[in-house]
Amino acid sequence: MSPSTAALLAGLVLLFPLAGSALCGLIGPVLGRRFVNLAGTLSIGAAFAVTLVIFAQVLGAASGHQSTTATLWNWLDLGPGNLNVSVDVTIDQLSVLMLLVITGVGLLIHVYSVGYMEHDPGVARFFSYMNFFIFSMVLLVLAANMIILIIGWAAVALSSYLLIGFWYERESAVLAARKAMITQVIGDVALVIAAILIFVNLKSVPQICIPPPGEVCALQLQSSQHLFTLSLPQIFANASSLGAGSALITLICILLAVGAFAKSAQFPLHTWLPDAMEGPTPVSALIHAATMVTAGVYLIARFHPLFDLAPIASGMVACVGMGTAVMAGFIALSQVDIKRVIAYSTMSQIGLMIFAVGIGAYAAGMYQFLLHAFFKALLFLAAGNVIHAVHDEQDIREMGGLDSRMRVTAWCFLVGSLALAGFLFAGMFSKEDLLGFGLINGPGAPALYIVGIVVNVLTGLYAFRLYGTAFRGEPRSDAARNAHESKAVMLWPVVILAGLSALAGWILQWPIAFGPHLIDAFLNPVFTSPGSGPIAKAPSLGLGVIGFVIGVTCSLIGIAIALRIWVRRDLDPSRVLARPGLRLLPRLSFNKLYFDEIYDALLVRPTRALARGLRRVGDPVMDSWIKGVSGVATDFSSAFRTIQTGLIRDYASYMVLFVVIFTVAVMLAAGLAK
Amino acid sequence: MTLSQAMFPWLLLTAAFLFTLGALGVLIRRNPLVVFMCIELMLNAVNLALVGYSSYLNSEEGQVFAFMVIVVAAAEVVVGLGLLTRVFSIGRELDVDDLDELKQ
Repeated sequence: MSPSTAALLAGLVLLFPLAGSALCGLIGPVLGRRFVNLAGTLSIGAAFAVTLVIFAQVLGAASGHQSTTATLWNWLDLGPGNLNVSVDVTIDQLSVLMLLVITGVGLLIHVYSVGYMEHDPGVARFFSYMNFFIFSMVLLVLAANMIILIIGWAAVALSSYLLIGFWYERESAVLAARKAMITQVIGDVALVIAAILIFVNLKSVPQICIPPPGEVCALQLQSSQHLFTLSLPQIFANASSLGAGSALITLICILLAVGAFAKSAQFPLHTWLPDAMEGPTPVSALIHAATMVTAGVYLIARFHPLFDLAPIASGMVACVGMGTAVMAGFIALSQVDIKRVIAYSTMSQIGLMIFAVGIGAYAAGMYQFLLHAFFKALLFLAAGNVIHAVHDEQDIREMGGLDSRMRVTAWCFLVGSLALAGFLFAGMFSKEDLLGFGLINGPGAPALYIVGIVVNVLTGLYAFRLYGTAFRGEPRSDAARNAHESKAVMLWPVVILAGLSALAGWILQWPIAFGPHLIDAFLNPVFTSPGSGPIAKAPSLGLGVIGFVIGVTCSLIGIAIALRIWVRRDLDPSRVLARPGLRLLPRLSFNKLYFDEIYDALLVRPTRALARGLRRVGDPVMDSWIKGVSGVATDFSSAFRTIQTGLIRDYASYMVLFVVIFTVAVMLAAGLAK
Repeated sequence: MTLSQAMFPWLLLTAAFLFTLGALGVLIRRNPLVVFMCIELMLNAVNLALVGYSSYLNSEEGQVFAFMVIVVAAAEVVVGLGLLTRVFSIGRELDVDDLDELKQ
């Protein structure tokens, strides 16, 4: 692909959602619902069409030429040795894969939203924000300059803030939006500091010239010099100048990882994600499947040349990812809000992706991202159907027996749950793939693999607890008894996503269910520099098979236990949990390990107390001199106010008086001058 | 007709006297009509001085300026009398000390 074609296509993908956002937001309220529905979904549809063209271009490009970087325009130029920012875009396998998911799954979610927001008066605002979300995410993924990437990064945070707080008359929604924004800003700051560190320290790597026999090098060994650039290709090409394994590159990578953790809701910056369920359900689907939380995984995958040089930071990333996966799976076991259970499942699955990119299995992480996008969007949209059907009830204890009342949704949800738990459908392939890498890679391998196996059991448990409680058994409320299936516009996206969740893994993995897959072959050129293999060693075939069998067995154990407890109800967990050592577990899980309370006590309360104390001290100190200054001005002006009588006579007298004074003064001056 | 050298200071004195008279009238009288007449007196005092200088310096410019002043005075009377009739028609007393809305 030539740079000009790349620039054109990338510009179009960026332009469509932005134009859709502007149209919906500016003239949508005037032209009405039908126009908004059309403009909001067609813009994403057009972006998806362009993405398909890009995908075809990348697939058709000769090996080694799939990556194209193009400049749209030069944005900021402060001269040599200073900051230069041009709006660069990179189109390669990684960004194309992201684009496909963002626009493709995004399109399905937009179509679904037409039905979901049918009765909401703020539909124009909704589609405007949603399109802007897609735009920000596309900008983030395409960016080939760190400044542009950070702009996209922050725009994603902004759109999530707007959408989580979409129903702004609810106090809880506003608080949740604020919480998301504050957490995002922590990540933004970390990212900006990382950018500054790179900008200040990046030097060019000397090119060692080996002259062909009989010739002399035109360019002899260049000396290394500061580059002062934030262009990503240049950063990656000269990453080794930061020093492999040095403290500096470790610090940079940890800062990048903190940014990724904030976006991807990883420990300890994860508390915003469950609260983000306050937004409309399509928003949750968009945040969890197509955008936002996957940005962190993308960031680490994109910055892999840096992470490859910082094994300590990578190890930390892997541990945090796996830790979050276990923690979120544990919390998901006892949540009662249907959307929160799915939210914690996202956190857990993203934790696995973060683990994969942390151990260097980037392609495996992106594989999990792709398949996860399908089944997570599916679960959320199906949950949206359920919530619609039972009149905005989200408590699964008030549901039950929905499988006979909403047959299609129930089947699709079952597919999604199986895919999530990792049996038969999507999750089975990607999860076992990345856990297989965990067998021989990562810090203390295979310690984290064993934790991953526990995650598998937990996933099976909470996925089928959710399915069993919400869909099976007898209805436990009138709303659930009278539930009925949703309209076609809300059903079709769910069915398509169910089809993708069921089939995508099989197609990409054909003909064997373990070992290398098509995504691996597609992405690996991005993650391997010429001359070196992939950073993470793939497990041998035999080891892969063993890992696969163990992983799937564990998932099945989880599923089976869940089915016995919550569907057949012939196993009662309360007896086991009544034992003294385990009595604490349900309480810990139900209260989300008390993270909100801990943060409240450690951060929020001290800050408030500090602010209150400062106010007590600051008010008299600050106000006294400000009041003093303003008091002088007041006294000064009130002295002059008395001469403003409003009488023409007085004004005329002043005029005469000052004309006389002036005249006399001029005459005196003239006399003195003589 | 030319002005004799000896008469010129007396002419200026007359103009100054008339001007002072007008200014005092503006400052002292309460009836806006009289105030206007006093302003006219001041303007015409200036006219006298302008014409006198014109003759004394043997230049036409002073006379041209006098015409300008006459035009401005006419325009000013039109506006002023319009304002006065308006004030009268809304039932206000014609007294400059009573009209103090400028301070607001």
